[in-house]
Amino acid sequence: MNFFLLYLLLVKATLTSFSGLASLPMIRNDFVVTRHVLTDRQLNTAVVAGQTGPGPVGLYIVSVGYFVSGVPGAAAALLAVITPAFLVIPMMRWFGARASSPRVRGAIRGVLLSGAGLLLSASMPLARDAVTGALPVAIVAVSFVVLSFTRVQSVWVMLAAAAVGLAAKLMG
Amino acid sequence: MEPSSLRYDGKFMLTRRGQEPSLASLTWLFTRVGNTTFGGGYASIAALQRELVEREGWITHDDFALAFSLGRITPGTNIVAFCAATGWRILGMPGAVGAVLGETLPSAALAVLITQGYESGRSSAVAMAALGATAAAVVGMMWAAVWMLTRPYLGRSAVELRRVVRAMAFAGGAFVAAWKFGVTPVPILAAAAIAGLLWKEPEPKEETET
Repeated sequence: MNFFLLYLLLVKATLTSFSGLASLPMIRNDFVVTRHVLTDRQLNTAVVAGQTGPGPVGLYIVSVGYFVSGVPGAAAALLAVITPAFLVIPMMRWFGARASSPRVRGAIRGVLLSGAGLLLSASMPLARDAVTGALPVAIVAVSFVVLSFTRVQSVWVMLAAAAVGLAAKLMG
Repeated sequence: MEPSSLRYDGKFMLTRRGQEPSLASLTWLFTRVGNTTFGGGYASIAALQRELVEREGWITHDDFALAFSLGRITPGTNIVAFCAATGWRILGMPGAVGAVLGETLPSAALAVLITQGYESGRSSAVAMAALGATAAAVVGMMWAAVWMLTRPYLGRSAVELRRVVRAMAFAGGAFVAAWKFGVTPVPILAAAAIAGLLWKEPEPKEETET
């Protein structure tokens, strides 16, 4: 498929969705149902690949682009993921100029605090999946303490956890 | 002790604070944090909050709050919009481009490799053990972020008590709505914005002059 057309179809999906997988129905409709350039099985693989790797779940679209037209398709998809993000800049300008108003500030902080509640809620299913024994409990506790009360970079905590998991597996 | 990021200097979000990083160090921070965090957008935002606000002090707690709020209502992937917003706050348009590419490019390349890996049917139990352990670390990191996000609102004085109640109402309300009643994020955040507009935040005395 032509690079530009692929970009337009993908950007249509990213511009009309507001979270990682919300673009899925439109992608499926355009690529699987209407144009037959992707199979349902490939779409599933793309979603899993997006969730296995690091970074945003929305990057599954890169995997979709790759299935449709190889590496150039993946590049078109990355552009489609990035494009809508720049809409935030005029909004930052507008709100930033009005942010000294206590009411606007109250609203922004209200959103932030409810974001903390959402974060806690989002961690629950993850905790249920990941915390399966004494070792994961220890990893949760140690990473919480280290990240809350020291200045250690997050990446070291992630790598240390991976190393511990690997060592535990290899030692049986 | 109040974190410096909370202090209101009367020039809220109109001037940049602290030292400006170079474009390379900004891009590298987003690359490092964005591509080593598994578990989706919230996990990355939790890690970035810690690095940008608490460790580096490149943006204030309020800048972070604004970028988080606006990132949520920008179409597309919220975390990418969040990176554009914070990168822009720190270094203008080049900062936005650096942050967005740093956040997405390595992960995108990896997504292609993983796709190829799945296609050729390889999956290793050893790799899965390492991934499972990082999932546990992500849980700890998300809880640390909840702690750091709410901590500035947990004061001790009498004026602060009303701030604590207000903060707990927002955070607790959102948690209960999402976890117990399965409400999706956008309506929760919209309700929080409206409630925040109507329910004025009690300001500590030394922060009231503008």
